[in-house]
Amino acid sequence: MKELEELRFQLHEANETIEAIRTGQVDALVVQGQDGHQVYTLKSADQTYRVFIEKMTEGAVTLNQQGLILYCNSQFAFMAGLPLSQVIGISFEKFIIADDLSLYEESFRKCWEQDCKVELMLKTREGKAPVQLSLTTLELQEGRALSIIVTDLTAQKKTQQQLRENNIQLEEINHALELSNHDLQQFASIASHDLQEPLRKIHMFSNLLKANSKVLSQDLQTYLQKIIDSSVRMRTLIVDILNYSKLSANDHVMDCIDLKEIVNELIEDFELMIEEKKARVIVGDLPSIDANKGQIRQVFQNIISNALKFARADVAPVIEIKSRRVNKKTFNSADDADGPYWFISIKDNGIGFDEKHVQNIFSLFERLNSKDKYEGTGIGLAIAKKIIEKHNGIITAVSKPGKGAEFQMILPVTQNM
Amino acid sequence: MFKRKILLAEDDGDDQRFFNEFLKDRNDIILMPSADDGEELFTILGKIDKTGELPNLIILDQNMPKTNGLQALRLLKADSRYAHIPVSIYSTYIDEELMKKGLEWGACHVVQKPLSNEGYNQMIDSLFKVCASIE
Repeated sequence: MKELEELRFQLHEANETIEAIRTGQVDALVVQGQDGHQVYTLKSADQTYRVFIEKMTEGAVTLNQQGLILYCNSQFAFMAGLPLSQVIGISFEKFIIADDLSLYEESFRKCWEQDCKVELMLKTREGKAPVQLSLTTLELQEGRALSIIVTDLTAQKKTQQQLRENNIQLEEINHALELSNHDLQQFASIASHDLQEPLRKIHMFSNLLKANSKVLSQDLQTYLQKIIDSSVRMRTLIVDILNYSKLSANDHVMDCIDLKEIVNELIEDFELMIEEKKARVIVGDLPSIDANKGQIRQVFQNIISNALKFARADVAPVIEIKSRRVNKKTFNSADDADGPYWFISIKDNGIGFDEKHVQNIFSLFERLNSKDKYEGTGIGLAIAKKIIEKHNGIITAVSKPGKGAEFQMILPVTQNM
Repeated sequence: MFKRKILLAEDDGDDQRFFNEFLKDRNDIILMPSADDGEELFTILGKIDKTGELPNLIILDQNMPKTNGLQALRLLKADSRYAHIPVSIYSTYIDEELMKKGLEWGACHVVQKPLSNEGYNQMIDSLFKVCASIE
């Protein structure tokens, strides 16, 4: 009993000593051996390093030249799932899974010549885990030893695997999307081309009938005109759908274009309508931006034509087009002479609309007004929105019924951002 | 008065009828019997080649079976016997690509099919203007 008590005391003392070393409170030990008292200083490092090694998230192990573990930090013992006492003194290769033993042995041979790293599977408390071993030789007074830093790669491998899976999934989705995009464009193109031929026939034969319509009653002549008007309208619809579907293709060239020039060209195109409606178009300073000329022209054309179309019956249309340079891609962005965006506004004094419809007017086929009163297909603003978005810009409208409408766009100065 | 001989290649019977009906009264053109498609165009040209009565103008429909308008245009321009004859392509629907390729491959005129009697006559007038500027 007394002996047992003695041993228990020694164990307690030893544990305390180890704890003291571990927490960095001890720099040297005096041990009573066969040759009297001996002083052991802790050469491995000063206190900072010992604390550092103990606290780090990697496992740290020191081996002798036979591969026996002389020292390990508690992180490694935690990884192995064993108390420290059962790790010290045993061969490190006991922790390597059988399949990777030869890999480890090869590195163990080489590392005495040159530092090396190896990835293999370690036996752990959870079975096994992928780790990276960084092997470095240490020149100690007692001879050479080997330091191994054990980095757990479980999370990294898992992330990599996840990334690979996500990439594969993304590729599949991309592929499917490309196919459906292609199908859609094919469909739009074929439908539009093939729809146009019979439509043109309807138009042609109706025109032939009309040329001889004197024999027809007034009613029949009206019906005939309705057939012609409808076929013209359908033709416009088909052309607009086709143009809209073409916007999905990503092959549009961007150049530096002068918006002022485009607007002036459009004013010339609209000359007749402007004269007829006694409209006034006030063009302020407009910038040059990186854009596809044909497409941006289309945007301005659609909005200006709307402004002329949706004029109030009793008031001559006034359209104001102006711009200012801003620093953010928001409609309330502050002015900034060197900002990366242009705020462009096209404002009219027409019939306007209720702002709760603002999202609708940019959707395909959405009309707020009856087609009897105002001609059009309801595609114009959808096309405008798609083009602006393709130019990395945004578009909105502010309006009140009877108070005119203002179309606002934010477009980047350059496209290579 | 110089009368231009016009050869039309068109597979659609109605369109052949419109063309001949609306243009038959013009005194500045001679309408040759139409070809029903791009292949027949070359059969006809091969026959009249020997008599030396080649057309002064060829109008090609774009959408024809077997040989379409653009393909026929290429063959015509690649053949030394016919390369000098001005060619026009007309189609129900003209897209950018047809316009670009047509002009690039040597057509002098790419237009949309007319919708009325006046439309057909205007098409011929404008075609003559383009031809005159080439001649």
